[in-house]
Amino acid sequence: MNTRIIRDIPFNLVEGDLEVSIEYGDGRVTDAWSAGTLYRGFENLMKGRGPLDGLVMTPRICGICSTTHLFAAARALDAIAGLTPPDNAVRVRNVALMAEHVQSDVRQSVLMYMAAFAHPAHAGHPLYDEALRRYAPAAGSSAIDAIRETKRVLEVVAILGGQWPHSSFMVPGGIAFAPSQANLLQCQQLVGAYRAWYERRVLGCPIERWREVDSRAALDVWLAESSAHRDSETGFLLRFGRAAGLDAIGAGPNAFLSYGSLDLPQETAVVAQTRQLVAAGFARGNAVAAFDAAGIAEDVSHAWYRNHGTLHPAAGETDPYASAQEGRAYSWIKAPRYAGQAVETGPLAEAVIDGRPLFADIVSAGRTSALARQLARLTRPATLLPAMEIWLQELIEDHGAPIIVGDGQVPDGEGAGLLQAARGALGHWVRIENGRIARYQVITPTAWNGSPRDATGQRGAWEEAILGTPVANPDNPIEAGHVIRSFDPCLVCAVHTVRRRV
Amino acid sequence: MAARIICIGNRQVRGDDFGPRVYDCLAAKPLPADVDIVDGGIIGLGLLRYLEDGRRVVFVDAVAGFSASGGMVLLDGAEVARQCVGGFDHAAGLPYLLKIMPAVLDSPPPVVTVVGHEGYASAQTVRTAAQCALHLATESADNACRA
Repeated sequence: MNTRIIRDIPFNLVEGDLEVSIEYGDGRVTDAWSAGTLYRGFENLMKGRGPLDGLVMTPRICGICSTTHLFAAARALDAIAGLTPPDNAVRVRNVALMAEHVQSDVRQSVLMYMAAFAHPAHAGHPLYDEALRRYAPAAGSSAIDAIRETKRVLEVVAILGGQWPHSSFMVPGGIAFAPSQANLLQCQQLVGAYRAWYERRVLGCPIERWREVDSRAALDVWLAESSAHRDSETGFLLRFGRAAGLDAIGAGPNAFLSYGSLDLPQETAVVAQTRQLVAAGFARGNAVAAFDAAGIAEDVSHAWYRNHGTLHPAAGETDPYASAQEGRAYSWIKAPRYAGQAVETGPLAEAVIDGRPLFADIVSAGRTSALARQLARLTRPATLLPAMEIWLQELIEDHGAPIIVGDGQVPDGEGAGLLQAARGALGHWVRIENGRIARYQVITPTAWNGSPRDATGQRGAWEEAILGTPVANPDNPIEAGHVIRSFDPCLVCAVHTVRRRV
Repeated sequence: MAARIICIGNRQVRGDDFGPRVYDCLAAKPLPADVDIVDGGIIGLGLLRYLEDGRRVVFVDAVAGFSASGGMVLLDGAEVARQCVGGFDHAAGLPYLLKIMPAVLDSPPPVVTVVGHEGYASAQTVRTAAQCALHLATESADNACRA
């Protein structure tokens, strides 16, 4: 077999600070290496600061998921202080996080994933002209529509946070202020309008109808049922994706992780299988086991860090050493592992661990793919929007109830804030000593999905997912891009300098 | 005329922190009642909400490639929008925001000017940029913008 290493993969729609090299032979990807090229080091920025500084600093890790980092930081401080926020604080925190998720899921799908369907490499695809009309960069009808609508739903975060951007309204024990009734009614209107648009344009049907789709066969029935379904963004994703073969590539490690997210208030009409709307768990295929945070460890055998051993993040070190493991290390991303295994995290993992029948059927049939992963992301708002509406109604009805417990102080101790970000499992591990942050470790979803190899040689999730991908043109391996983008990599959103390009 | 100065960038990244440093400088000044300042951070499209109320807008941001000698540059919004040569991604910043703005706002797009700086700015340059942004916001740009 003739092989060739390709380093210059045109991931212009993915990430400037992500480099994926692939080995190519006989028309397929035979090996892959994923490298984060930027050292961020927030962990070290945090040391020596006051206990509450994580609420201000860590939301700046990401320009898209700032509410998620705030939430993780607040949960870590809740844990250290031994505080359980009151129901209304739980609801407000949850609704803000969910607003961030439902906009991110649609933006990523329309503006990044399906935007690639309008790439000239797909010019021979029978749906290419329609893809161009929908997704042409900064001009396609779906792209414009998605930005307009997601802009509006993000107002919810601004209203509940009382400041935009960089709100730090989540504090140990709850939230810093109570939204007024008028604020809540406005949020209710925004979420209701977004749901109506999402049903009309993204699903092409009511959420209730979509939730009846419980198997691959039912998905086919749904797609054939009406032109509204076929013409929706979900319908187009399926039609274009299947014809492009995206349902046959990108399987991944077949191991899934969710930390669990969105605690249920003590009193609520929202129904879930556990005390969280998004269940925690680890799944091998669709065999789901309980999640144990003690099973997390970070391997740095192939990353540019001094190797202090494979450590749990509560004892983790972020000790950059650019010449470490020379010739072996290739990434600034560490390799987190769960019970020693590489896992994928994100909307597909959540769906599998929650036991949502459609995705359980896909995984059990061995049909995990880039298309399935993207379908899980685009349709995740169907699981979130109804609960958002219920929690906002409960906030209106229970207005005036407590929003915080404790005295705002954080004692010495250690704790973790774990939840599900838009892209998957996010954790902040914090230790406070003598009134200062002594240790702060962050593991992002992209660290899980985009990790390098570990000491056993096990590839990271998307390194594994890309193996075997057929590549029609090695000079433009767009198929590899479809696989990587289905994980929604996030590495570079922290710096946006205006660069002259023309 | 009411105006808004939106300072963008990451205050934890040297060089990219030009906008936040100018924001801090402006926040310490008495400002005209009709001038609003925003610490816009790194949220990209999340800033659309600040472009919809008809105010003139002055962005302050780090730039690269606009000045051979480095230092402060003034750019109009259209020139910055032209630097957007691709689609949306996690790195989408001011060029994408300004390019997409006319199509997605619920109101007519504002007049936009950008106060940029190449390289790390001295404290004096930050003060000058703050003064310049304020002059532009109040439609009285003068020598303060020629540092």
